[in-house]
Amino acid sequence: MTDVAARIDAVVKLESARIVAALMRIVHDVGLAEELAQDALVAALEQWPAAGVPENPGAWLMTIAKRRAVDHIRRSRLHERKAEQHARELDQAAPASERDDVLRLMFISCHPVLPTEARVALTLRVVGGLTAAEIARAFLVTEPVVARRLATAKRTLAEARVPFALPEADDLPPRLSSVLEVIYLIFNEGYSASSGDDLIRPALCLEALRLGRLLADLAPGEGEVHGLVALMEIQASRAAARTGPAGEPIQLHEQNRGRWDQLLIRRGFTAMLRAREIGGTPGPYVLQAAIAVCHAQAHTAQDTDWARIAALYDALARLRPTPIVQLNRAVAVGMARGPQAGLDLADALLTDPALRDYHLLPGVRGDLLARLGRAGEARREFERAAGLARNAAEGAFLRRRADEITVAEAAGRTLGEAAAEFLARENLDAATLRSYGQTLTRLCRAVGARLPLAELTAERVAEACATAWGDAAPRTWNRHVSAIRSFSAWASTADPAPGSAAAPGLGSAAAPGLGSTVGSGLGSEAGPRPGSEAGPRPGSAVGLGPDSAARVGFAAGLGRRPETGARTAPLGGPDLDGLWERADVALRERTLWRLLHESGATVRAVLGLNVEDLDQEDRRGRSGDGFVSWRSGTARLLPELLAGRTRGPVFLADRRPGPARMPAEADRCPETGRGRLSYERAEYLFKQATGTTLHRLKPR
Amino acid sequence: MRYLMMSKPSDQPADENLYAEMGKFIEELTAAGVLLATGGLEAGGVRVTSVGDEITVTDGPFTEAKEAVAGFALVEVRSRAEAIELTRRFRRIVGDGESVIQEVFGP
Repeated sequence: MTDVAARIDAVVKLESARIVAALMRIVHDVGLAEELAQDALVAALEQWPAAGVPENPGAWLMTIAKRRAVDHIRRSRLHERKAEQHARELDQAAPASERDDVLRLMFISCHPVLPTEARVALTLRVVGGLTAAEIARAFLVTEPVVARRLATAKRTLAEARVPFALPEADDLPPRLSSVLEVIYLIFNEGYSASSGDDLIRPALCLEALRLGRLLADLAPGEGEVHGLVALMEIQASRAAARTGPAGEPIQLHEQNRGRWDQLLIRRGFTAMLRAREIGGTPGPYVLQAAIAVCHAQAHTAQDTDWARIAALYDALARLRPTPIVQLNRAVAVGMARGPQAGLDLADALLTDPALRDYHLLPGVRGDLLARLGRAGEARREFERAAGLARNAAEGAFLRRRADEITVAEAAGRTLGEAAAEFLARENLDAATLRSYGQTLTRLCRAVGARLPLAELTAERVAEACATAWGDAAPRTWNRHVSAIRSFSAWASTADPAPGSAAAPGLGSAAAPGLGSTVGSGLGSEAGPRPGSEAGPRPGSAVGLGPDSAARVGFAAGLGRRPETGARTAPLGGPDLDGLWERADVALRERTLWRLLHESGATVRAVLGLNVEDLDQEDRRGRSGDGFVSWRSGTARLLPELLAGRTRGPVFLADRRPGPARMPAEADRCPETGRGRLSYERAEYLFKQATGTTLHRLKPR
Repeated sequence: MRYLMMSKPSDQPADENLYAEMGKFIEELTAAGVLLATGGLEAGGVRVTSVGDEITVTDGPFTEAKEAVAGFALVEVRSRAEAIELTRRFRRIVGDGESVIQEVFGP
């Protein structure tokens, strides 16, 4: 027989939403409601193994939880009569309102004041009944991370005083769309997981389906809810068919349709019908579901109604022009209106930063290029896609697709080979090598390492750089530009074969004679090409500069950007004097800032100081492996700050930590119970006071 | 995971109350997204057996009617323990008798 713990777990998961929702009605605080539900669970764990599981375990848990809630209200000095009134209300509550309570709970756990991952975690916790450990495993993060997300979410909801009520009519659309987003996110997290060693990730699909079906029952008048359910049911119906025996992905048109789950497809169709009955303008979920329905209705891949799917994608792209939708639209258009039409759409996405590392963009382009007979380009795109794929099975699949395309070996050195040689030169120091390596790795990933160097154009490089580092700080941008210019200059002038320090393997790749081929190939590209982006990029370039000789070849489209430098320079004397004299700064901050300035130590080292390791006489303290020393300014302030404390962190947080974020003992003051001041908090306070960062207190 | 819950015929007559409670139970499980399909089965039925090339079709009823399945429910749950828990609730409603639950694989 199953043991009691497993039974309790099952009962709690089945009943969690109802219990927490009922408690919310009493205490109006998600955090508290969840804690009280937890108390009831603990009571069950204590009593059931000895006394036996009660006849109706769900009702037992509910009774205990409600009793605790009423006790809590009494204790918290609320008017006693109010508590009794609550208790009376509870007993009279009709089952219909219990259902509404669950719906209210969903709206709260998906409330827009919370960051997305907090909504997801809280919904799985209070509506799905999953433990923090289970959520952590499903999302591949650690349990403390989930515990922290949950604690922050509950605090945020309490601080925002979110009422336990259904949204008002004009607030409903955004609130509902937040709930739908959370459910679909949970579904996709499970669906995109590789068929797995850990079943909890695929189990997220089931969790999302349950939440969706529950929501459809609670809010039956909303078309988008049924649309989402239809979408998830139909996608889930293909779960078994979409991976092969080795875990490799099988594309929709190659799937064995006999393995599609007809039961789920039928449920999907039913949900879709309900969405249609409700009518109105189709929203994004209804449109996506309609696309899924088209695929599910096709008995063979050839039967697929691509014209209709492309039209649905056109509508969806108008509503939600996200890069992923655009990419899928390119696929559909490629099927319905020919590969060139699809490729035109896909090419427009090449400069989208959101897709720069997304393997399916080159994957889709490779497919379209292959159908257009552009074999060389197709092959390179598949190789690039294989390099970007994060899932090994998918990478192998893309590599196989690349290998299936036979192309006459292009003459000349490839970008990857050239980059390897460039980096293998002897005269590079380690830091430069690392920096150049980063730049060139990214460049290879963006345009494909197998691209013949001779075919690398200035436009493509400029495009790739803008996508990769367009919004980086000027310094970062300039570092990459320098690396590419240096590479370009090397490639266009140096004859790499003789005298190169290339490793034997690389040397043989650049066979003698190739150098001249590359040289001549590059020669035609060398000058600034008319009509290309050879001129400085608007608003970004600072003119040619002294290194204009390097601005030939494929680096021609890149300009340096002005660096301000103000963010990192140390604060000057006048700034500091002003800072020390400010009256609105608390003692702790004054001491910390003085100490940082006088010691020149890192922020972490200073925050890591403990009272017992200070030598105030010698004006120094041990932190980690080193010492932090100070001068008279700090020495004056320290005794006041320590106020007789003898142990624990020198710099303490303002408040005692909550139970969910209890720091290690070494980071807690034994006298006050407060934790060590965090870097983030210290930085935040400094930023609030001065608008700049703590690093700038450090003298040069 | 999916489980098929099969119940054997019961001697007890079904009353109004049982129907009402069952209706409520089914409604609740459907709303929670747990119950995928459910139904009752005719008594007896037709038996088709094959031995070598020979296929025999026999009409019911059969002598071992007690062991036959009278109704089924296909549920989608997180664990075997949840399937058992739901079956416990079902048994509490229908009274004396027996159900068997087995995990469903595929398609």
